Amino acid sequence: MRLKTSLLKEPKHILFLIICVGWTTADELYSCSEDHQILRWNLLTSETSLVVILPEDFYPIDLHWFPKTVGGKKQTPAEIFVLTSTDGKFHLVSKTGRIEKSVEAHKGAVLAGRWNHDGTALITAGEDGQIKNWSKSGMLRSTLATQGSPVYSVVWGPDSERILYTSGRHLVIKPLQPSAKVIQWKAHDGVILKVDWNSVNDLILSGGEDCKYKVWDSFGRLLYFSLAYDYPVTSLSWAPDGEVFAVGSFNTLRLCDKTGWSYALEKPNTGSVFSLAWSADGTQVAGACGNGHVIFANVVEQHWEWNNFMITLTKRKTMQVRNVMNDAVDVLEFRDRVIKASLAFGHLVVATSLQCYIYNTRNWNTPLIFDLKEGTVSLILQAERHALLVDGAGLYIFSYEGRLISSPKFPGMRADMLNAQCVSLSNDTIAIRDKSDEKVILLFDALTGKPLGDGKSLTHKLEVVEIALDQCGPSTERKIALIDKNRDLYLTSVRYLGREPKICKIGSMIHSMAWNNAANILCGVQDNQFTVWYYPSAVFIDKELLPKTLYTKDGSEFSHAPHILSYVDTKVRLRQRDGSLLYTSVPPYAVLLHENSSSARWEDALRLCRFAKEQSLWACLAAMAIANRELTTAEMAYAAIRELPRVHYINFIKQQPSKESSLAHLLLFSGQVQEAEATLLQAGLIYQAIQVNIDLFNWERALELAVKHKTHVDTVLAYREKFLLTFGRKETNKRFLQYAKGVEVDWEKIQAKIEMELSKERAKAANASVRSSLAQRR
Amino acid sequence: MAQDLLEEEGIFFDEFNKLRTLEPDVSQKTSELKEECKEFADKIGQFQEKVGSLIELVDQLAKETETEKFKAIGARNLLKLVAKQREALQQQLQALIAEKKTQLERYRIECDALSKVESEQNEFINQFILH
Repeated sequence: MRLKTSLLKEPKHILFLIICVGWTTADELYSCSEDHQILRWNLLTSETSLVVILPEDFYPIDLHWFPKTVGGKKQTPAEIFVLTSTDGKFHLVSKTGRIEKSVEAHKGAVLAGRWNHDGTALITAGEDGQIKNWSKSGMLRSTLATQGSPVYSVVWGPDSERILYTSGRHLVIKPLQPSAKVIQWKAHDGVILKVDWNSVNDLILSGGEDCKYKVWDSFGRLLYFSLAYDYPVTSLSWAPDGEVFAVGSFNTLRLCDKTGWSYALEKPNTGSVFSLAWSADGTQVAGACGNGHVIFANVVEQHWEWNNFMITLTKRKTMQVRNVMNDAVDVLEFRDRVIKASLAFGHLVVATSLQCYIYNTRNWNTPLIFDLKEGTVSLILQAERHALLVDGAGLYIFSYEGRLISSPKFPGMRADMLNAQCVSLSNDTIAIRDKSDEKVILLFDALTGKPLGDGKSLTHKLEVVEIALDQCGPSTERKIALIDKNRDLYLTSVRYLGREPKICKIGSMIHSMAWNNAANILCGVQDNQFTVWYYPSAVFIDKELLPKTLYTKDGSEFSHAPHILSYVDTKVRLRQRDGSLLYTSVPPYAVLLHENSSSARWEDALRLCRFAKEQSLWACLAAMAIANRELTTAEMAYAAIRELPRVHYINFIKQQPSKESSLAHLLLFSGQVQEAEATLLQAGLIYQAIQVNIDLFNWERALELAVKHKTHVDTVLAYREKFLLTFGRKETNKRFLQYAKGVEVDWEKIQAKIEMELSKERAKAANASVRSSLAQRR
Repeated sequence: MAQDLLEEEGIFFDEFNKLRTLEPDVSQKTSELKEECKEFADKIGQFQEKVGSLIELVDQLAKETETEKFKAIGARNLLKLVAKQREALQQQLQALIAEKKTQLERYRIECDALSKVESEQNEFINQFILH
């Protein structure tokens, strides 16, 4: 990725510093300079026109457009902007350049003025060290901070509840509520000149006179710091989607990834870049230069990779597709600027400012084209059957035939704040992490756009950082993997009937994760190693088996905590902290094993495991076989990993007299005690249900069942007595004491009763099988 | 006698017997002086003319020297500036080189990773063929 810069030959503001710039639409920019002029730059017609000449004593400092209305409402172009000046005033100026209102705000110059994200408040910061909060119409609400030194830069937090400002070498995050805690930390070795805070990824940028720029998270933890370059950092700005940012200093323009490393460096002849502003679609950035130029830079040369295709955005409207298998090159031309693109599952989806193009990788000549309602697509996600487009107004699912399938909506939706970490798409489900309560995951049916099930969302006990839906298998077994604030990885079912499923922890210290495209295999970067969960659902079947199904690779080959970009077939693509791409491969056996198990070819699966001779595969097979109630295979697999107790138990299950009993014991095998008991009770096998509870030393429940069904109370008491005797203890439980009085324990009678129950069950099972075989014959 | 008397009265006669109020010697000398004076004035005039042109020439020279001097100073400054510009350019290029170097390092790491994957795959294929 790099920046393609363009400068006019002659500066428009001759011999004057340009101080500030701001975009109205994707193609229109306003610039303001010390020669008291406000110019409008139209990029479509490349015309520059004078909007207004300000009074002689008016020296502007900062310009910020009123934000577009957001949140599903129709978007209107910005109409007014705030302009701050050296005489301590800020001015609300209309699009035509008329000063609607001037407000005396600070002593000395007003160094920054910023609207909050929904345009309900304005903050200004002045040379006098004060930060003031104003209403939309310019009425003073409060003075947020007072300090001894000038505040050079101030920004709103993503929730518009906090502000971030500079205080010499320190950065301060101050919530608007007076009682809330203020975070302050030393950020640079020189005076900090500029800060920015992105609302999508919640990261903070700062740059100062020590010639460095740094990336912080919203708790003030340092994520990245640059080298000390030659000149102080005079400006920086996040792209709206939070994927990249631009940094400006003397004769320098730099494009950086959100993790801090720099994609590209440009050395245009601009003087110092005093202010940077991204257009709303995030494809171009404008800079106000010290020598009177306005520099425009387009982001080009992004790359996309999928299987054997490599796609590069060569120009703003041109893509080059290279097939690495035969070196065939196709060139795709678009009518408008390319804003976003995504390549996966054999399809390329390209969003330009007006249209969406869908290409099949088999045919690059005839794309499917349809119009987009609104220009600024901020995110594209793909699943095997459809793609999700997110723009400022909402979420839309399109099939690869270009048909709108659904458009999920939920209250409080802020579509412009969604990123790839908090949205996940699969063939049948969409999961979205709620922005207002980060513990909640909202689930939607992808085909109807309605909330899943009874509309209840998934709630985790901690804030969720990243979510991912698995891509394969039937929709009823859809699972979601989530990473929470503590970097623990959890797995749970998305679609369920009845009881809410457990959220099971399957790993800790996970930095990043991705599902495979062809099978439900999860890979993740765990602490300092690369881990693959060959069969994550094993956690629901046999918790102790899960660690055995893992495939790990030593992480020494990659530096600290790389980010997983994709996991296609056997190839995993990762991006390191320094920006370098890494590839690593995973043995292909697990994918094959998944295929065999889903098509119930257990013989093949066994052969595969014998061929590969890997413990992890055997463990997977064991779990898969149990999940599919394939006891013979499971027995062999457990034997292969030397889990003797389990082999015995499987044998025991096989010997169960009736179907219901074996089903219940299978459930017990997976630790689902309540389900097992319910199954038995449903089948009328009261004694068996009681016995299960006795075996688990769940005495109270056993007695409760016995009393409720008025049978086997003596059995429970007998076992309890035996148990207490073994441990040399006395009965203290009141209920047992109470029932022990009225019941006589006679082991022989009990044995006889048990025997009777068992034979009854056998007889019933035999009857059932005869009946079913009769039914079959008919 | 009469002549003396006349001479006393300040009246003289010259060789051509014309009446004069001035002594003939004096008159002659006066006219000589006049001639000489004229000659002198002429010479002075000539001298002045020559000196004037000389001065003009010198002035011109001075001017030329001055411009040359300025030119020299300018050239010298330019030279210094070029050196500075070169330094700035060098710095700029250095920065660009450093950027390319980091990019190269990234590519190298990527290449390493890819070749590792390749060797892994070859190993896998070999294993597969052997069985």
